Amino acid sequence: MFTVSVALATMLLAPQSAAPFEEKIPGTLASFKMQPIPALPGGKPFYISTTEVTWDVFDIWAFRLDQSVEDQAKGVDAVSRPSKPYGAPDKGFGHKGYAALGMTYLGAQTFCQWLSKKTGKKYRLPTEAEWEYAARAGATSEPELDQVAWYWDNAEDKAWAVGTKKPNAWGLFDTLGNMAEWAVDKDGKPVTCGGHYLSKKGQIGFTARAYQIPKWNENDPQNPKSRWWLSNAPYVGIRLVCDLP
Amino acid sequence: MSNQNELSRRDLIAKTAVAGAAMAVPSFVFAGSQAQIKVGLIGCGGRGTGAAQDNIEADSSTVLWAMGDVFPDRLNGSRDGLKKLGDRYKVTDDRAFSGWDAYKKVIASGVDVVILTTPPAFRPIHLKAAIEAGKHVFMEKPVATDAPGIRSVMESSDIAASKKLSIVAGTQRRHDFAYRGAMERIHNGDIGDVVALYAYWNQGGLWMNPRQEGWSDMEWQLRNWLYFAWLSGDHITEQHVHNLDVCNWAMKGHPVKATSLGGRQVRTDKAYGHIFDHFATEYEYANGVKMLSMCRQIDGTASRVSEHIVGSKGTSNAQSIKAAKAWRFEGDRTNPYVQEHKHLIASIKEGKPINEGRQVAESTLTAIMGRMSAYTGQEVSWEQALNSTESLLPATLGFTSLETPAVAIPGKTPLK
Repeated sequence: MFTVSVALATMLLAPQSAAPFEEKIPGTLASFKMQPIPALPGGKPFYISTTEVTWDVFDIWAFRLDQSVEDQAKGVDAVSRPSKPYGAPDKGFGHKGYAALGMTYLGAQTFCQWLSKKTGKKYRLPTEAEWEYAARAGATSEPELDQVAWYWDNAEDKAWAVGTKKPNAWGLFDTLGNMAEWAVDKDGKPVTCGGHYLSKKGQIGFTARAYQIPKWNENDPQNPKSRWWLSNAPYVGIRLVCDLP
Repeated sequence: MSNQNELSRRDLIAKTAVAGAAMAVPSFVFAGSQAQIKVGLIGCGGRGTGAAQDNIEADSSTVLWAMGDVFPDRLNGSRDGLKKLGDRYKVTDDRAFSGWDAYKKVIASGVDVVILTTPPAFRPIHLKAAIEAGKHVFMEKPVATDAPGIRSVMESSDIAASKKLSIVAGTQRRHDFAYRGAMERIHNGDIGDVVALYAYWNQGGLWMNPRQEGWSDMEWQLRNWLYFAWLSGDHITEQHVHNLDVCNWAMKGHPVKATSLGGRQVRTDKAYGHIFDHFATEYEYANGVKMLSMCRQIDGTASRVSEHIVGSKGTSNAQSIKAAKAWRFEGDRTNPYVQEHKHLIASIKEGKPINEGRQVAESTLTAIMGRMSAYTGQEVSWEQALNSTESLLPATLGFTSLETPAVAIPGKTPLK
């Protein structure tokens, strides 16, 4: 858990030198927005995506939409692309504008590697400290959940399109609720942050954390179970960090 | 529903006749909880390996006893993966078989139960051999790819009934407590009379193994069995059978005819064999109720895998009920892939056989009827589908050359 003082948070809200940017995936119509975040004490400033990564972007990697039909048929790049899921990966919640979900930590990381190669920038998952710092955006108390988050009380047991609730002070949407977001904890282990659309009050918030448990891929009928998809965790997603040059 | 009642009466008469012929066979009951149930795995791919693990997880009395696959590499990979089962893994080198007759050797290895998880083309052959040898069966869906296969599965299922053998099928929704709860309420009339059904399996593409040097046509096709109708039945059969089965379950019977359209529009590379990439089918049940079914495997398109059942007093997604008497499942929804094995093993121990053979054969034929209609462009009746003489299986099975069948052309491809 990481907290910042009110004074520090206020200071950090001061005008930032770096400007937001929109990342367009070359050769496609997909894009997403990156927001500059002031440096953590002792750290460097970084960018973080304003929304959870949507299928519009994730599909390009996961379903090889950037490859020719011939390359797909030849299995080009097969080791760094997910296996094809048996079923609807979006679980029928919605696709365009909805957060990509149910990827394993390996999938989340490999997606970041692909995106970095594709864009020439360094994309990665946030550390737990970065995630919480960005999610709080200087807030010292928990927000009014219904205003900012899709969760147990309002989500009707499904994910919602990203960016349809109020953003935080730094313009980030859905940090709490919708998807629990992959991050790297202080020991380098994968952890999900913030809670998700099935989280109840008390399970959702800046300090909410969940580590993967066997239940998350229990119903994968294959053995070995997929390295890429979590059959029973349609509430895990990705928020991207990009390091400032 | 009178037609369906007639059908079940006919089925009953057929079953009784077979039962009479086989009365001498002793029933197969495991006394006490200490008895060990030996399980053989036939078909050691990802699903087979997963099914073996599910079976072991389902009940403490099972042990994995023997394994077989046509390919040594699949056999060995699966064995490596299952060694983690510890002392429940009893597969010795002399009970691990590869080659075309591996299934016979597994069945003859002293097992009580066999898990049939090869590509569906071989299911009728394997089921027949297993039932003849007096084994209980878990078999994955679909259970055949053509009408002769379906008829064989129905016959084997009836013989199994007469021998008091259990057959559980991998239509796991039938073992999922949310589905079971909803279906019980639909059958109780909580949504009124069922007036329409919708079934969907729309998704992107599936795995494909690029052809390697040295592979015969047969090896290439087997390792890409999804893309050849003789092996998989096409994706309307291989995948969509789950949703069709749910609709048949709600209707307590099968459709009487199908009108389907489909094609191979995007996934056209020869690496993907000759199957279609989309189907849309209207099925009609005996009482005139219609089911709209669609299935698609095209990357970059909207996904939907679900069933929707419309009643005169409410609706259901087959897992919950929206009606005056609304219902949704609460509690721990156990993994249905394990639960199906729990039901199987419990039925064996208690000597109360479950036999899902005919039910899954009917759902598989429902899918095949849709495929036949889409391939030919004709309306196809249940009788035409069931009595079709078209066998898709190659004349000989071996690692030989084997042409990829031509892509079906509606209006040109004949209905056989």
